[in-house]
Amino acid sequence: MVDYHAIGTPTPRVDGVEKVTGRALYAGDRRLPGMLTGRLLHSHRPHARIVRIDTSAARALPGVHAVITGDDVRGHLYGRRIKDMPVLADGLVRYFGERVAAVAAEDEETARRAVDLIEVEYEDLPAVFDVVDAIAPGAPLLHPAFGTYPGTQPLDVPSNAYDHTVTERGDFDGAFAEADFVFERTFSTQRMHQAYLEPHTSLVSVTDGRAHIWTNTKAPHSIREVLTVTLGLAPEQIVLHHSHIGGDFGGKGTPLDLPIAYFLAQASGRPVRMVADYVEEFMAGNPRHATLTRFRTAVMRDGTITAHHVEYFVNSGAYAAYKPGGRIGGATRAAGPYRIPNTRIESIHVYTNSVPGGHMRAPGGPQGVFALESHLDAIARELDIDPLEFRMHNLIAEGDEPASGDQITRPRVRETLQAAADAAGYRDAKALHVGRGMAIGDHGAGGGVGNAEVTIHPDGAVTLGTAIFDQGSGTYTTLAQVVAEELGVPVDRIRFEIWDTDGTGGEDDSGIGGSRATRVNTVAAHAAAQDARTALTRVLAAQLGVAEADVALRGPDVLTPGGEPHTWAAILAEVGRSVTGRSHVDERGPTHMTGFAAQIAEVAVDPETGQVTVLKITSAHDVGRVLNPIGHQGQINGGVIQGLGYALMEELTFADGQVTSLSFGDYKIPTMRDVPQLTTVLLEPDNGIGPYQIKGIGETPNTPVAAAIANAIADAVGIRISDLPITAEKVYRALQNRGAAAQ
Amino acid sequence: MTATRFHTPATLDEALGLLDEHGDDARLFAGGTAMVTLMKQSLLAADHLVSLQRVPGLEGVRLEADGLHIGALTRHRDVETSDLVRVYAPLLAHVYSRVATVRIRNAATVGGGLAHADPAQDPPAALIALDARVRIASRRSVRELPVEELFVDYYETALAPGEAITELIVPRQPADAGAVYLKFLPRTEDDYATVAVAALARIVDGRAHGVRVALIAAGPTPVRATVVERALEGAPITAEAVRRAAEAVVDAVDPLDDFRGSAGYKRDMAVVFTRRALERALGLSPA
Ligand SMILES: Cc1cc2nc3c(=O)[nH]c(=O)nc-3n(C[C@H](O)[C@H](O)[C@H](O)COP(=O)(O)OP(=O)(O)OC[C@H]3O[C@@H](n4cnc5c(N)ncnc54)[C@H](O)[C@@H]3O)c2cc1C
Repeated sequence: MVDYHAIGTPTPRVDGVEKVTGRALYAGDRRLPGMLTGRLLHSHRPHARIVRIDTSAARALPGVHAVITGDDVRGHLYGRRIKDMPVLADGLVRYFGERVAAVAAEDEETARRAVDLIEVEYEDLPAVFDVVDAIAPGAPLLHPAFGTYPGTQPLDVPSNAYDHTVTERGDFDGAFAEADFVFERTFSTQRMHQAYLEPHTSLVSVTDGRAHIWTNTKAPHSIREVLTVTLGLAPEQIVLHHSHIGGDFGGKGTPLDLPIAYFLAQASGRPVRMVADYVEEFMAGNPRHATLTRFRTAVMRDGTITAHHVEYFVNSGAYAAYKPGGRIGGATRAAGPYRIPNTRIESIHVYTNSVPGGHMRAPGGPQGVFALESHLDAIARELDIDPLEFRMHNLIAEGDEPASGDQITRPRVRETLQAAADAAGYRDAKALHVGRGMAIGDHGAGGGVGNAEVTIHPDGAVTLGTAIFDQGSGTYTTLAQVVAEELGVPVDRIRFEIWDTDGTGGEDDSGIGGSRATRVNTVAAHAAAQDARTALTRVLAAQLGVAEADVALRGPDVLTPGGEPHTWAAILAEVGRSVTGRSHVDERGPTHMTGFAAQIAEVAVDPETGQVTVLKITSAHDVGRVLNPIGHQGQINGGVIQGLGYALMEELTFADGQVTSLSFGDYKIPTMRDVPQLTTVLLEPDNGIGPYQIKGIGETPNTPVAAAIANAIADAVGIRISDLPITAEKVYRALQNRGAAAQ
Repeated sequence: MTATRFHTPATLDEALGLLDEHGDDARLFAGGTAMVTLMKQSLLAADHLVSLQRVPGLEGVRLEADGLHIGALTRHRDVETSDLVRVYAPLLAHVYSRVATVRIRNAATVGGGLAHADPAQDPPAALIALDARVRIASRRSVRELPVEELFVDYYETALAPGEAITELIVPRQPADAGAVYLKFLPRTEDDYATVAVAALARIVDGRAHGVRVALIAAGPTPVRATVVERALEGAPITAEAVRRAAEAVVDAVDPLDDFRGSAGYKRDMAVVFTRRALERALGLSPA
């Protein structure tokens, strides 16, 4: 074991005090001279042609500086990969909540009144909300011009299913023909909002031909690139400045109103700030996608799974724009880390007249895992095999290829599951109507490019320059630990210099997302710190008159053969100048490493009401080295709680295409008092990525929870809920239906 | 929220005068927890807000011969933690403790809570079961009304324009009565009830007496389930009698579909929780 002083030490947030004392500035805290407030008019139709928009009354209102509609921004298409979304509806609205017109006014009150004065005449079109309806013959086509959008290719046959990927392995049909049993089931999941505290905010000021932007995005460089296309500007004309971010959970990768704020700023000649309210967040945010998963699975009498067919339908909503890759994962999560030789995995993304989905913590992961782990559990119970044994029998070991198609070195999924079972007392006696259920998920650390600059000042202070906009998960703290570690200084010595998008000197930076932050940026910070060490060594050698090879840095001390010990800070102070190390790292390659999570939920079901009380969740993780135990545990606890909300209550509800859950009174998220006993088990690290052998943790803890709870309910009262969230009423109805069937 | 005037009268007379003067254009403003939400959602607008914050004498709990007198401006949290309430109407202290979160309870007032008249609010269930009354004042008159008669419809009370609730009068809870409030919260602890039941009853010679059953979140107003009370009053206490009495509650409730459940589910749950509340009040199951 390497002996670290900063790495692995519980380290409080470096930006914690700043945040709790209110000093940290968020995008919504910024005030620029002459700044206007922007507000939006949203569509109140799920699918309609815009016959006429009359903005004259809004324009005439004193205090209104600009009113724009689709006519003013025609041809400007927005999207992370697939640019299918007009900045403002262009003659057509495709979902209830779509941005139709925008106003910039002196204050919010005036802006709201102006919005109310805009008149829109619609001609309704047939709408589709459900993926199955949307791909049925004769369904209204949302995007007949799909292939003409930047980032797309024409489809062979026009369809709302804009992305249909099929991967097949083995003798798929043959295996079904020989199977002892074939199990078919369908599972569905709901739309979930990220429920961050801070709503989307965009502030744009156009000065000297440059768009200066303050927004809550965790991927500023990627957004700048997106904006070059959408706004028709060169990269040099766009700069994103840093603001703190009030929570993300995946939802802050696509600043929803940013292009609109830019066009309002252009039209008014004034800086424009737009802050979404939570009604807008719920109605027109970028929620987790609803999915529908159909399975057909071939199993032999001894419980060996021989073939598996996944049809994974993603309800994209009206646009693909908010998905960084144009689509989300999840289909392979519905195949999982199981040894199944014959597979067909279909991933189908479908446009519907609903709010477009975006990224949320492990996009597709909880959806695919809920479906698969529920399905396998049901199979085990039907075959009268213990669900733990059934999984152990089929899970991959070293050298096996999993059904997901992932390449994984040293998969420790069985060990992780066993650790969860042991810690949870899986085989202990249970009271009546108490059940235990398990589920497994995994998430590899994503890749990307990153930058860092470490400067050691003559007064001993150390500055870390970074392009990262920490979205609240604690990356700055981790990076401070890295630099402190490599320079042998305490963590509180590290100061931050957070760069705007000019700060990387033209280099790209992937920012935060996909569990990449720690992987990419510890490598970057490590490399910059090492570079700074080398530079320091050079300066010290010159000052001490020895060869560089003879200079040894030990914590605060510099040692030379036979020389007196000095602190390097003292020598650097003598020299009177700072030294700097820089890095630009490319960590895009695959790692063939993943972090498994196995969870066991223990629940009590009230058979008279259907109420599910989660008593305990045990979460076992196959981890790398834990850099900051506080942050790591925080990711686990927060993820499990978010998973609990997904399992039992959180849902964007709809009526005729309209989101109806428009406040946190209707859209409930768990409170502290709803959190069950949480037990964490961390496996002894035995491999990992980068200089400290780490693995990602952000996106595994929330992934298996819903399936574990569904399986625990099945264990407790013998019913299977296959659509999330598992409300008390659904459980009650299922129990009633079973009672009725038994009579 | 345009050009609303916020008045801070220093006496009740002054407050009632402002209400009288501005009629429909004026609204009382107490803790603001309901008002501010409604105004932000543009569900409510008032040209004149008449704050009660500076009006003396509207806050606090005192014991008089006819029971507890709780000032309209008393915070939920202060009812919940009042020693007098805990001793003389423990059911009430408990019910106020079940409202929302402590942050809301620290701001929300007794009078504002009653006047808001959302049928999913908790306190009326206990207040009805305890035969509580409200004292209502206007510039011209003072009257009292049983809480049971205060609620007219969804978000609608029997208060006339110009009237304010000044006090809540709660008879002492009979010391020998079993008193139970069950709030069914299948989603989160800080939610409104899917359905909730207050039950009060004494056992005399193995028979149920003084049976009171009231529900919230079970119709357009809080309801007193007299059908259940009558079915049980004077009856020998058996599990079967309680079960049958509880089933009668379906005739008293008229719930709506919402985020907390369908109407049908709430009706079924009203039966379950009425039965459970009575079982506990009558000592048939542990409290
Ligand atoms: C997030 C949240 C969660 C909640 N959860 C619950 C819950 O679980 N259970 C529950 O029971 N309640 C719940 N509530 C409702 C809460 O109890 C009410 O908002 C509160 O009681 C209103 O009291 P207030 O003093 O804030 O009234 P205000 O908001 O000031 O006023 C409310 C209404 O009463 C009128 N009014 C005020 N004082 C008087 C008076 N003296 N005489 C006549 N009219 C008056 C006002 O004009 C207004 O119409 C919740 C509220 C919120 C915001």
